[in-house]
Amino acid sequence: MRGVLIKNLREMWLATLLFALAMLVIEILLNIILPQILGQMGDLLERMPFIRQFLAALLGVEVEGEITAQLMSAFVWVHPVVLAILWAASIIFCTRYPAAEIDRGTIDVLLGLPVSRRGVYLCETAGWLSAGLVILAFGAIGYLIGSRAMELEQRPALALVALVMVNLYGVYLAVGGLTCLVSSLSDRRGRAVAVIFAVVLASFLLNFLAQFWDPAKHLVFLSVLDYYQPAAILRDGAIAPADLIMLFAIGLTGWAAGLEITARRSICTT
Amino acid sequence: MTPVIETHQLARRYGPRIGVDGIDLRIEPGEVFGFLGPNGAGKTTFIRVLLGFLRPTSGGARIFGRDCWHDSRAIKREVGYLPGDVRLYPWLTVRRAVGIIQAAHRGDFQGPGRDLAARLDIDPDLPVRKMSRGMRQKLALIIALVHGPKLLVLDEPTSALDPLVQITLADLLRQRCRAGVTVFFSSHTLSEVEHLCDRVAVVRKGRIVADEPIDDLRKRARREVVIRFESAAAAAAAEPPPDGLTVIERDGDRWRAELAGEAGALRQWLARQPVRDLMIGPPDLRTIFHAYYRETEDLD
Repeated sequence: MRGVLIKNLREMWLATLLFALAMLVIEILLNIILPQILGQMGDLLERMPFIRQFLAALLGVEVEGEITAQLMSAFVWVHPVVLAILWAASIIFCTRYPAAEIDRGTIDVLLGLPVSRRGVYLCETAGWLSAGLVILAFGAIGYLIGSRAMELEQRPALALVALVMVNLYGVYLAVGGLTCLVSSLSDRRGRAVAVIFAVVLASFLLNFLAQFWDPAKHLVFLSVLDYYQPAAILRDGAIAPADLIMLFAIGLTGWAAGLEITARRSICTT
Repeated sequence: MTPVIETHQLARRYGPRIGVDGIDLRIEPGEVFGFLGPNGAGKTTFIRVLLGFLRPTSGGARIFGRDCWHDSRAIKREVGYLPGDVRLYPWLTVRRAVGIIQAAHRGDFQGPGRDLAARLDIDPDLPVRKMSRGMRQKLALIIALVHGPKLLVLDEPTSALDPLVQITLADLLRQRCRAGVTVFFSSHTLSEVEHLCDRVAVVRKGRIVADEPIDDLRKRARREVVIRFESAAAAAAAEPPPDGLTVIERDGDRWRAELAGEAGALRQWLARQPVRDLMIGPPDLRTIFHAYYRETEDLD
């Protein structure tokens, strides 16, 4: 197992660092830019009221009356770029094994070592989980640096920010777990990435459409983002346990199914 | 004694396509076993079942008495594997590979790693992305050999190696064999199997069509014979050739023929002929190899 962990560390550190730096920079920028937008938001909402619905779709709560600093703080954690970075990291790390290893043919050398398939899967999982923590930690650091641009009374408490990060990590786990399942069924990384990208995109669009289109409201429970509610966390001061349980359940189910399929499937590289 | 490799009615199908079909094989400790067949015959499928990559459709395979599918991890502690189509991580070097293998096997292989790198003439710090195909093959060989396995499973190991390195590899394998290592050697090239192996199996369309010691094959193999008589007239007046000698070409004072079996009758016949010169070539296993294919094609 140690040999596989060494290999994973060598292969994953650079990508993890790049994702983490991207998260750091985007959080700093959003925190600097958003307070300036906040000043003009009232006028903007009067002229273009549909923006209120876009914001509600992203934040997962009704946006009525004034856009508060609290809502804007939540917005930095639901910005599409933030979600894209996190999802991209989860998808890339979770398609490494077995899909990418089979795709490039290196699985012959990897599984030529005295390691079990489950062991390799667990090593990959350790890498994926750790990378997510590093990326979110960098995001939090970026948030703390960037939020200095806000008035002190506008900044949410650190404990609330930590709760938002826990919720966001749940999203990372859910997307990663589903990716593990797709990867375990695939011999081509590109195919696995395409499938999970389509799922994530559909999830995003469903969550968005639910604000405008009644039939989508009945299906919105299928969207991972329906269980990600940073605005509600900042408003209520607590995370909804049901949301967290649902995200972890999605992630765990996908991950466990992926583990069993990987352990039992035949592996062909030609 | 427990055989190193034992398969019983082993079959692996890919949907309607046959990979291997009903293979029964028993390889004893210390044997150098050649698994010979053309591309697509099922050699790699058989190896992938042995290594636990593929689950058999029916039948079973065991290495050191352990089931290849269920006990794959334990088996690989004793096995060195060289894949047929070597693909390696672009960042991998000999030094890094040895480090990973050390961690995986919990041993110290720096010394053997250095020795192998020196014998195969490869820079221990050169990453795969800068290596030629032959260099990558050498690194893959080091990965297979460095931990001193009791069984070597080599899938077409000399492909991409230049003739000098092929000789070095043959020496390395002979050295390991003397130390009691068993070698399972797959190839579609008869010559490399011929020089290294004690026993050879010929596989075709997923089935073993021949399995016998290489010496027995040699005894049955035809040899090329060139006889030069004192003159064209002497050649024309020569007695009819003995049993086992088939004349293929008569050209003046020269006969080109093929000898099947022992040379006793030929020697006695030659003693009575006005012969100026004689050349007898080595046993030509290719003809036997090709004959197996023709026979099975006829059966089909």
